[in-house]
Amino acid sequence: MSPLLAAVVSVGILVGIYGVVAIALNFQYGEAGLINFGVVAYFAVGAYTFAILTAGPPSEASLDQYRWGFDLHPLLAALIAGLVGVIFAAISGWPALRLRGEYLALTTFAFAEVLQSLLVNVPAVTNGTSGFANITQPLRGEVGNYNLFLLIVSLALLAVTMLFFQRLVRSPYGRLLRAIKNDEVGVTATGQVPEKYRRQVFFISAFFIALAGVVYVIWLTLARPSSFGAELTFFVWIAMILGGEGNNWGVLAGVLGLTVLDELIGQLPVRSVRGVQMIDAAQVFLTGLLFVLVLRWRQPRPGAG
Amino acid sequence: MNSFLQLAALGVAQGSFLLIASLGFSLTRRVEGFLNIAHAQYLSVSAFVTFFLNNSMGIHFVVAALAGVLAAVAVGFLFGKVVYEPIRRLGPAVLLITSVGVVYMLEGIIEAVIGTGSFLVTLPRIAPVRFGPIAITFYQVMVVAVAILVTAGTAWFLQRTRIGTAIRITSLDRNLGASRGVDVRQAANASWVLSSALAGVGGVALAVLGALTTTKGFEQILIILAVALLAGVGSIWSLVVSALAIGVAREVSLLWIGAGFRDIIAFGIVILVLIFMPNGISGRTE
Amino acid sequence: MSEPILHLDHVSRYFGGLVAVDECSLSLAEGELVGLVGPNGAGKSTLFNLASGYLPPSEGSVTVLGHSTTGRHPAELAALGLSRTFQTPVAFKELTVIDNVLVAARVERPILAGLAGTWRSTEKLNRERAESLLERVGLGARAEDEAAELSGGELRMLEVARQLYTDPRLLLLDEPTAGVAPHLQSALADLIRSVHAEGVTVMVVEHNLGFLLDLVGRVVCMANGAIIADGTPQEIRTNPEVVAAYLGGDA
Repeated sequence: MSPLLAAVVSVGILVGIYGVVAIALNFQYGEAGLINFGVVAYFAVGAYTFAILTAGPPSEASLDQYRWGFDLHPLLAALIAGLVGVIFAAISGWPALRLRGEYLALTTFAFAEVLQSLLVNVPAVTNGTSGFANITQPLRGEVGNYNLFLLIVSLALLAVTMLFFQRLVRSPYGRLLRAIKNDEVGVTATGQVPEKYRRQVFFISAFFIALAGVVYVIWLTLARPSSFGAELTFFVWIAMILGGEGNNWGVLAGVLGLTVLDELIGQLPVRSVRGVQMIDAAQVFLTGLLFVLVLRWRQPRPGAG
Repeated sequence: MNSFLQLAALGVAQGSFLLIASLGFSLTRRVEGFLNIAHAQYLSVSAFVTFFLNNSMGIHFVVAALAGVLAAVAVGFLFGKVVYEPIRRLGPAVLLITSVGVVYMLEGIIEAVIGTGSFLVTLPRIAPVRFGPIAITFYQVMVVAVAILVTAGTAWFLQRTRIGTAIRITSLDRNLGASRGVDVRQAANASWVLSSALAGVGGVALAVLGALTTTKGFEQILIILAVALLAGVGSIWSLVVSALAIGVAREVSLLWIGAGFRDIIAFGIVILVLIFMPNGISGRTE
Repeated sequence: MSEPILHLDHVSRYFGGLVAVDECSLSLAEGELVGLVGPNGAGKSTLFNLASGYLPPSEGSVTVLGHSTTGRHPAELAALGLSRTFQTPVAFKELTVIDNVLVAARVERPILAGLAGTWRSTEKLNRERAESLLERVGLGARAEDEAAELSGGELRMLEVARQLYTDPRLLLLDEPTAGVAPHLQSALADLIRSVHAEGVTVMVVEHNLGFLLDLVGRVVCMANGAIIADGTPQEIRTNPEVVAAYLGGDA
């Protein structure tokens, strides 16, 4: 495969993965008004669950610190990973969903930091800072071009996610969620319990975000705590705000734009360490600037704000 | 017992730093009504300006520190006026999300100028101060002293001066303040300057207490949040209690748990306080 | 007399040291049309919140439609047939006017129905019903407009339409005339009368005494958290305590 094609494929895989997360996040924020600043936690839970369930027994030779590997079938492991994402959503959502607005944001953010800290500090389960390497790539031997295969998997997951949420959003269920976002008490007065729907939104999104985490570690073949920091949360947030929250196609465009930008910057012919640093710094700065500008001048939806 | 006292003393120094760092954060929370995550980056700005002037240009530490505080004021005031004030009407959630963007902008600038690595401010060696079995460095004592000064000064300023009173009224009710003849604009300006200056002092304290990295300032944000939330929106004294409690708890907890778990304790506090004590130890609502 | 549809039994509510509602007892029989009046700060809104389950009583008990409000989510009471409006009218500003009403439509298993598309079969009937309710409150022509474009008075009518969609047995209206233009108030009174004529029990909190006394058959008057009078509009008009409360208050 030519280098250009390889780059396009890897961008495509990432767009699929981040797209799933961004659309699930958009369901939470754009539709139901829930501010989740801990998105990465659900992603990490999916990734690590898959890594642990498919890992072989620990070996002394490679200095493994983890104690349990399950050698499970990858498909089953992926499904369980999604469900563990939902369980983590239940654990974090039980306290967090009592809170509103920016306080929900803080609690979810704190949960994600706690989780990342646990990934480092409970090596018996997570293998500590080195995490899991050589993660099982299902069907590795059977398909010719593995990255092409992963591209198809990733885009298929994105398509299913898109279809799933588009159908929900356009149904009376979506209408109810936007009503809850606008005025919870008003929804209560019609005889429906908003808390119940807030929980459902949280759980459903967590399932998809965790599945995206599974595809991510299959592609990376690595699961390390450092891959699951707040940067990922904010990357997806920025993509969503850029694309226009509440609009799934716009959000996808935002993901595509940011991912391509990342890839282009990665391809710049820079040799010196300092040069790479400067480019990283410029990218971080521009991302922040873009974010601030979009929030300042975006078109608010009717009645929002 | 001695190691307990030793850790508790370090905790008091850490708590003093946290107090300085969270005073300004809490002021913005009260006056502007949102959680400015980027406040922690103002600490970094001041810390690195101080470091740069002192280490690379050989300027006296005290002068460098003053310049650091001024830099934080400039940055905090600029972002306050240009970024935050125009979108105030969009509500605290959008302001909070926007402050994430500001975090990125400042991080980009700091990384471009400083690069990666660990930086240590070189300070003259001064013998540690001993209290019985406890020894803490001279500079840790200084941080405690500065915290006392800065806290008392802020309390005095808010309670006793005309602008301080205007800030307090503005924090209670902007419209009421305006209708009672308070210059809300001036009060908001003063509050941006004061909160960024406090962040600047916090940044100097951060530089004095240990090695700096470009992300060290932002790494403090969850602990600052924990302090601010535990305190609630009451008086400055609830902030003092909260900062010292968290500072000491983090250090003393080392007796029983690994250093890696310390932050989990701080985040755990954030979560527990938000759920069970949403008004903090002051018990008051906004 | 059969069991009352709403029964407050020696209900008190404190906020810190403040007594907002002080040992109030009140019964509404099915089919009544009752007004609740009183000067500002008399405790009317608190009483409304207690009656509709949004506030738990500090002391005493509240029974609505045969159920105690204690430990019940207000949504549960609403689903039983207790419907209320709010002083600041509820508006879902990101939705159209008709979708605002349709929020009250119940869909069985909404997630599955949404994914499978089976909701479309009931949606048509629901829309027709919502349209006729909008017609009834005078918003028929605005069905497809964004709710954000409505005036304060129109939002109030929209809220009434939405609450009527829930098929209430007991309807509590909190200051329905506030923000409604004077020439529309007689239409509002007619609407309340026609809802009442269909057998719905109605209680109205109102500042506008002229509007209320012409509308209802029974008036309850509160002052300083207590019920000071309960009778026909005639009796209330001439009750010296009521007159004193109003003169001493700000009405």
